[in-house]
Amino acid sequence: MPKKIDPAQQREKLHKKVQDLATQVVLADDLARPLQTLQEIAEHARRAGEEQLGAEAAALRTALAESMAREDYGAGDAWEQVSQGVLRLQQALEDADKPPALEAAGGGGGPTALAQDPELVRDFVVESREHLAAIEAHLLLLEQNPAHLEPIHSVFRGFHTIKGLAGFLEFGAIQEVAHEVETVLDLARNQRLEVTAEVIDLVLKGADYLKVALDQVDATLSGKPLKEFAPNQELVGLLRSLVSGGGPPAAPSQDQADAPAAAAPAAAAESATAPAESEIRTIKVDTAKLDHLVDMVGEMVIAQSLLRHDKSLAADRSPRLQRTLSLLSGITSDVQKTAMGLRMITVGHLFRRMGRLVRDLARKTGKQVELVTSGEDTELDRQIVEDLADPFMHMVRNSIDHGLETPEERVAAGKPPCGKISLEAQHQSGQIVIHIADDGRGLDREKILRRARERGLVGEGATLSEAEIFALIFEPGFSTAERVTEVSGRGVGMDVVRRNISKMRGKVEVASRRNQGTTFTLKLPLTLAIIDGLIVAVGAQRYIIPIYTVVEMLRPRREDVTFAPGQGEMVLVRGSLVPVIRLHERFGVEARARHPSEGLLVVAEQEGKRFAVLVDDFIGKQEVVIKSLGPMFRHVQGVAGGAILGDGRVGLILDLEGIFVWKEGR
Amino acid sequence: METAVMEPKGAAAEEKTDQRAGKYLTFQLGQEEFAIQVLKVREIMGVQEITAVPQTPGFVKGVINLRGKVIPVVDLRLKFGLPEAEYTQRTCIIVVQVSSGARGMLMGIVVDGVSEVLNLTAADIENTPDFGHGVTVPYLLGMAKTKGGVKILLDIDEVLSTQEVHGLEAVLRSADQ
Repeated sequence: MPKKIDPAQQREKLHKKVQDLATQVVLADDLARPLQTLQEIAEHARRAGEEQLGAEAAALRTALAESMAREDYGAGDAWEQVSQGVLRLQQALEDADKPPALEAAGGGGGPTALAQDPELVRDFVVESREHLAAIEAHLLLLEQNPAHLEPIHSVFRGFHTIKGLAGFLEFGAIQEVAHEVETVLDLARNQRLEVTAEVIDLVLKGADYLKVALDQVDATLSGKPLKEFAPNQELVGLLRSLVSGGGPPAAPSQDQADAPAAAAPAAAAESATAPAESEIRTIKVDTAKLDHLVDMVGEMVIAQSLLRHDKSLAADRSPRLQRTLSLLSGITSDVQKTAMGLRMITVGHLFRRMGRLVRDLARKTGKQVELVTSGEDTELDRQIVEDLADPFMHMVRNSIDHGLETPEERVAAGKPPCGKISLEAQHQSGQIVIHIADDGRGLDREKILRRARERGLVGEGATLSEAEIFALIFEPGFSTAERVTEVSGRGVGMDVVRRNISKMRGKVEVASRRNQGTTFTLKLPLTLAIIDGLIVAVGAQRYIIPIYTVVEMLRPRREDVTFAPGQGEMVLVRGSLVPVIRLHERFGVEARARHPSEGLLVVAEQEGKRFAVLVDDFIGKQEVVIKSLGPMFRHVQGVAGGAILGDGRVGLILDLEGIFVWKEGR
Repeated sequence: METAVMEPKGAAAEEKTDQRAGKYLTFQLGQEEFAIQVLKVREIMGVQEITAVPQTPGFVKGVINLRGKVIPVVDLRLKFGLPEAEYTQRTCIIVVQVSSGARGMLMGIVVDGVSEVLNLTAADIENTPDFGHGVTVPYLLGMAKTKGGVKILLDIDEVLSTQEVHGLEAVLRSADQ
C-alpha cells in the first residue's frame, strides 16, 4: 500500500460512499450492505483525515451490528437507525467541506480577517460571554468586600482566559483591553493597588467593551462582515494610568513580556481546568439536540397515553399487564420531567444581571440601594429567562429611578437611608412567581387616576378598585417620559413589560402602599414547550386553542345573536355585546355550524376588548407540545404553531388575537 | 446557473455534467418521469392525512407529522400546474432535505408514484434544449436518456424555492418526442 494518499481523492470516495449508503437506505433491502459500506466510510474518512467522521461511521456500524445481533430487533428499526446515521454523516461531511470555502472567502489580513474556523470563533464567543458574566458577579462581590482576594483571582482568571483566546484568534483589540485589565488586577491581587470604586468602574468598563466586541464577532458568524472594533485607546490609556499611578512599574512590564507569548497555551490550560471550579459537573449540548429530545419525549408521552387508553388492553384484566402499564406510565412521566428539566436554568442568572444594573443606577441617581435576592435556585425554561431580561430591566429601573427616594427624603420619612430592592422567585402550583419589590414611596393613585381621566382612559363617573387603578400604568401611551414624572414615575416601558410577559403566557400584577413601596408580581408558566389546549372542531378540521387565552365558552341562544349591518354579528354575553368571528370564514374551510346558535363560541380578550370565535364543537382538553411550523408558514395569520394530536395527526394551534385583528389580503 | 446552455461544449458544461452524474430516484408525475438526486431524499412514505394550513397557495397541501416533527407538504403536480389527481395507493410522499437559507429543512413532496433508483453517468445526461424563447428554467438540471425513456432531472431545492414555476410545458412537450 502506498504511503502517500491524496486527501482530495479520499474525500471524493467518501462522498460516493455516503451517497451509496443513502441509496441503500432508500432501497432498504439487505442490512448487510450498510454494514459493509459503513466500514468503508470509516476507512476512507481516516485516510482523508476526517477523524470525527470516521469515528461517527464506526460508531454507527457498531451500533447497527449490535442491534442486528439482538433477536427482538425488527429490520424496520434497524433501517431507521441507519437513516438517522446517514443524516449525521451527511451533515458531518458538509461541515468538513465548509472550512476551506470560508478561508478562500475571508482573505486579507489583520484582525478583520476571520480566516479561522467558525467553530472556534463560536466557542470563543460562548466561552468569553460566560467568563464575562462570572466576572461581573465577582466584581460586585468584590465591591462589597474589597479586601477579599478570592473574587479578584476569579476576575483575573476570566480576563486572562479571554485574553489568551482572543490572542489565539487574532482579535487584537479584545486582547489588548483584556491584557490591560489583567495588569490592573494583577497589581490589585498583589495588594499593590487599592481596590476602589474607580478601579471597579474601570474594570467593569473593560468588561463592557469586551461584551460589545464579542457581539460584533458573533455577528460575523451569521455572515455579516466584521466591523472595526470601537477604538479602545481611551480605555487602555485610563487603565495604564491606573497602573503607573498605583504601583511599581516593574510588575506590569514583566507581565507584558511573558504574557503574549504564553497566552494561547496558558489559555487552553485554564479553560480546561475551569469547569473543575464549579461543583456541579456540566457538559455543553447543542440546544437543537435538547429540543429534539424534548420533542421525542413528547411523542413518547402521546404514544404511552394511546396505549393506556387502548380498549383491547383495558379489557385484559391481567394484573401483571396492568402493573406493567402503570409502571410504564410512571417512568414516562419521570422521563418527561427530566427532559423538561434539561432546558431549565436557574433564575439566579437573571438576578445576577440585575445586580450590575442596580449598582450602576444607584451611582447615577445618587441613591443608596441594597439588592436582596431569594429563590435564585428556582428553575425555569431557558427561553423564559432570556425573554424576562428586558421586562426585568424596565421594572428594576423604574423602582430605583422613581420608586426609591433619595437618602435625605428617606431619612425625613423615617426610613433607613439605604433603599431596598428585593427579587424573589418561587414555585407555586405549577407556575413560577417572581416578586420585584421596593420599599420606596409607592404609587400615587390619585395622580394616576387624574392622568387616566385626562387621557380619556377612564370615564369621569367610573369608580375603580385599587387594582384597576394600578393596572392603568400598563396602558400603552401612559408611559411617555414627561407624564411619568407626574404620576410618580411609574410607567416607563410598562406597556412593554406587560406585552412581553403576556407573550410568554404570563401575567403581571402590581400592588402598592403609600410610603411603603411597590411590588410587581409576575406569574409565568414553567415552560414554553407545553400548553394546555382545548381541541375544537370546525368541519373536518381540528384546531387547538391555548386555554390561557380563553375567557369562557358558551352556546348562545338564537335570540342572543344580533346582526349589525355593515359590521357583522354580535352576541350578548352577560349583558355586554361581543363581536362574533366565524373561524371557518377566516380560514376558508367548510363548517357544520351555519349560525352561532348551532355551534360553540369561544370568548377571548385582547387588550381589554372581548370577542367571540365561532367553532363547531368542543372535542376535549389535551396537553400538547408546541411545534413550529417552520419558515414556510411564517406569514400565516391566526396560527401560532402546530402540535401532534392523540391520533398522530397534526393540529394547528390558534392565535386568537391574530384571528381577531385580521388583515385582509395577505 | 444555466450558462451552460450558451456553450454546451465548453469546459464549464463538461464540469457541470460531471457534477450531475450520480444516483437518482425516479418518480412519475402525470405522463412524465422525473428524477431527483438520491442524496436529497430522506425517506419515502405512503400518503397520510395532511393537515391543511389556511392562507397558503394551492400546491401547499399542509403539514404532516414525521415522527414528531411537523413538516410541510407540497403537491408537485399542482406546483407544476398539472391537473390535480386523486391520491391512490401508489401516491407517495417523498421526504427531501432542501437547503433554505443557512439551514436545511425537511419537506414532503407528493408524487404519483416512485419508480426506481438509477445510476446516471455523465454520458447519460444532456442539457435541457434551448426552446428559443429565452426562458431559462433554473430548476431543471438536465435530461437523462435511459433505456426506459427520457427522465427530467430536477433541482429540488430550486423547485421548492421558486414561487412561479413556468416553462415546464415546453419541456414536457420535448420530452414526449
